[in-house]
Amino acid sequence: MKGLRLVLPPFAPDQSGASSVLYEMGGLLVICDAGGCAGNICGFDEPRWFTQPSAIFSAGLRDMDAILGRDDRLVEKLAQAAEKLDVAFAAVIGTPVPAVIGTDYRALRRMIEKKTGLPTLAIETTGVGLYDQGEEAAYLALFQTFARETAPVDTGTVGVIGVTPMEFGAHHPQTRIADALRAESSVCCYGMGAGIDAVRQASRAKRNLVVAPAGLKAAQYLQRTFGTPYEVTDPSAPALLPQTDFSARRVLIVHQQVTANTLRQELIRRGITDVTVASFFMMKTELSGPCDVHLAEEEDFIRLVNDGHFDCIIGDQVLQRLVPAFDGIWIDTPHFAISGRLL
Amino acid sequence: MSRPDSRLCPAASCFPESGSSPRPTNRRAFSMTAEALYAAGPDHIPAEFVSASHLIYSSPATLAFNSPGAEGFGVKRAGLAVPGSVMLLVSPGCCGRNTALIGAMEAYRDRFFYLLMDETDIVTGRHLEKIPDAVCEVCRFLDTRPSVVMICITCVDALLGTDMERVCRKAEERAGLPVRPCYMYALTREGRRPPMVHVRQSIYSLLEPARKHADAVNLLGQFSPYADSTELYSLLRSIGIHRIREIARCRTYEEYQEMAQANVNLVLNPEVRFAAADFEKRLRIPSIELRRMYQPDKIRNQYAALGSILGASFSQDAYEEAARTSIARFRSLCPDAAFAVGEWMNGDAFELSLALVREGFSVKEIFGTVTSESFFYLKHLARLSPQTEIFSNLEPSMLYYDGRDSGVTITIGRDAAFHHPDCPAVPWNDEIQPFGYDGVRRLFDALCAALSGGKTTRRDQP
Repeated sequence: MKGLRLVLPPFAPDQSGASSVLYEMGGLLVICDAGGCAGNICGFDEPRWFTQPSAIFSAGLRDMDAILGRDDRLVEKLAQAAEKLDVAFAAVIGTPVPAVIGTDYRALRRMIEKKTGLPTLAIETTGVGLYDQGEEAAYLALFQTFARETAPVDTGTVGVIGVTPMEFGAHHPQTRIADALRAESSVCCYGMGAGIDAVRQASRAKRNLVVAPAGLKAAQYLQRTFGTPYEVTDPSAPALLPQTDFSARRVLIVHQQVTANTLRQELIRRGITDVTVASFFMMKTELSGPCDVHLAEEEDFIRLVNDGHFDCIIGDQVLQRLVPAFDGIWIDTPHFAISGRLL
Repeated sequence: MSRPDSRLCPAASCFPESGSSPRPTNRRAFSMTAEALYAAGPDHIPAEFVSASHLIYSSPATLAFNSPGAEGFGVKRAGLAVPGSVMLLVSPGCCGRNTALIGAMEAYRDRFFYLLMDETDIVTGRHLEKIPDAVCEVCRFLDTRPSVVMICITCVDALLGTDMERVCRKAEERAGLPVRPCYMYALTREGRRPPMVHVRQSIYSLLEPARKHADAVNLLGQFSPYADSTELYSLLRSIGIHRIREIARCRTYEEYQEMAQANVNLVLNPEVRFAAADFEKRLRIPSIELRRMYQPDKIRNQYAALGSILGASFSQDAYEEAARTSIARFRSLCPDAAFAVGEWMNGDAFELSLALVREGFSVKEIFGTVTSESFFYLKHLARLSPQTEIFSNLEPSMLYYDGRDSGVTITIGRDAAFHHPDCPAVPWNDEIQPFGYDGVRRLFDALCAALSGGKTTRRDQP
């Protein structure tokens, strides 16, 4: 049955993805909810919450706010909070409640900007989408709003788009990527390490690296606007594979598309050529191989494994519960957005 | 703090290294003294203390009660209090995401299932058509037939005005087993029947009328049992009440059904009042409400009142003596204890603070939700400890809370411990519930243990 989950809990939703991109940007982030969605972000989907504070708040919507569409009350609350906090901008992140009542985010953004004088982002997430959709929307809004000035290119700087704890964990992934990019002198991981000032100066980057499909649209925007070239690859991915050779003929990789593609290239380099990439998340056509698979339901994965005759699966081990009879090699690559396990 | 990595973008982080506070600022968290707050009065509670009037700060100190699904017993876990039950969460994916935390616990393995809504569902409500089939599919998937399927719905259905009772009846007919609704409507949290009140009604709604037993009583309130050492059990047995039942101690559906045999319900949590009213109306079981308190003299009065209602007299001296001995032991170990008391614990922050002040201890700070009921205790606190600072955990300026100059030397509550990470701390939020003199005794024993726990206070630091 479409939408029925008997084994796996739901994956990280779009609002969690949006907030993970904006988390370190120094803004006032308002989750437009009654409390539960912000609780899910702060209590589960944002591992940085317990060690690194950020100005994330719930709008605290109540039934009459939703029924009467009292956006003015939300604007008032946000303005009061902005007076008490040192923030560079405001962002409103959508949830199912505004999706049901049809909130006009454009109007809401203008009202907030007028009332507070703060640049404001409105991320139209709904809670039914997946984290990468929220990340994609947040990256794009962030660069479109703040990356406006053209600065001289710094030939030693590379921008990295797509690093969030959802895929890369919370334990300094920017350092792992810098390690992998040995030749580069300065690495700007937007959203993990690099904040709003780095976004404002995004035109300085000699090139951008897109390490997750959610970063692709933003990289394309920066290319159109500043001529910054981009490359799609996850330089930290090969380290996920065992260093020793392992024997496999037919491999299935289940992860986000860019990491999975980079792993495939590494396997091909090692002589394993029969590799299928599958993902429960966005699969960009321009990054897909001919036999790659988009998964939507638990059943899709079960069928793929049962029919695919793979002797090795590379993916989060929580997926193993769906195919208990699989007796090949399983290489565990934690994917926080799926299992809530950190890399 | 580790040295910055020179390869990483120097225009980088807007925050320093992990574990530190936001950028240096002269901002501070809003607070009021007990004296000033009491003077303002229950009709003029400052907006900073009224959660509906500001954005909500879901700090790590507040997650358990501000977003009950995040930790502790939220609606999802509470809905599974009936033995043998399973839950189908019908919602957008975001509402079920953190259930992975609970689902990983052994007691909840294979008990949570999800029917995820898409965008068309949230506009048209077509997901409701799928629920009966989904219930059947869940039952087919399980090795053992569940006793009941709880259908948990969220804000979306609150706004769509879903008649879930009707959908559940349809699912019951199709699946041939009880199906009950469970409302996780965060939107109605401050309403007359918030989710945690409603879920208590749901879980007791399956009880069938049964013959009453004069020696049977139910303890209603929590989803986990009261501590075995609680004197309430002994006191009830001393007057011939031997069948004392709690939902958390029911191992089977049949044992749960025996709760309908009670002669009286003891309501130990105000959130169960509506359920107790249902008991009275449907099963003709009356109820008596008791409060959890930490002031020994008030506990004595409450037991005396209970005894007079039940036509008996309780012998309380030994229990009170044990509690007072623990208090005295702590006082001898730490006569100048200066407390911060939080609200993420098994008690009322204001009542517990008053209890500490009345025992001669200093309470420097209270982290609590101020309601008109709080003023009963604030009245006494304003007189006995007027300079006690009161903070609202949920207020945005708590982002800047800095307790270094507070003078606090020991904390009670998970939230207070979060705010004072270097002080000895008693979280006091165990699932096993404290009550009465035994609760007082165990709290002060825990405080004694925390003192010897090896943590240093800021005062001890050079």
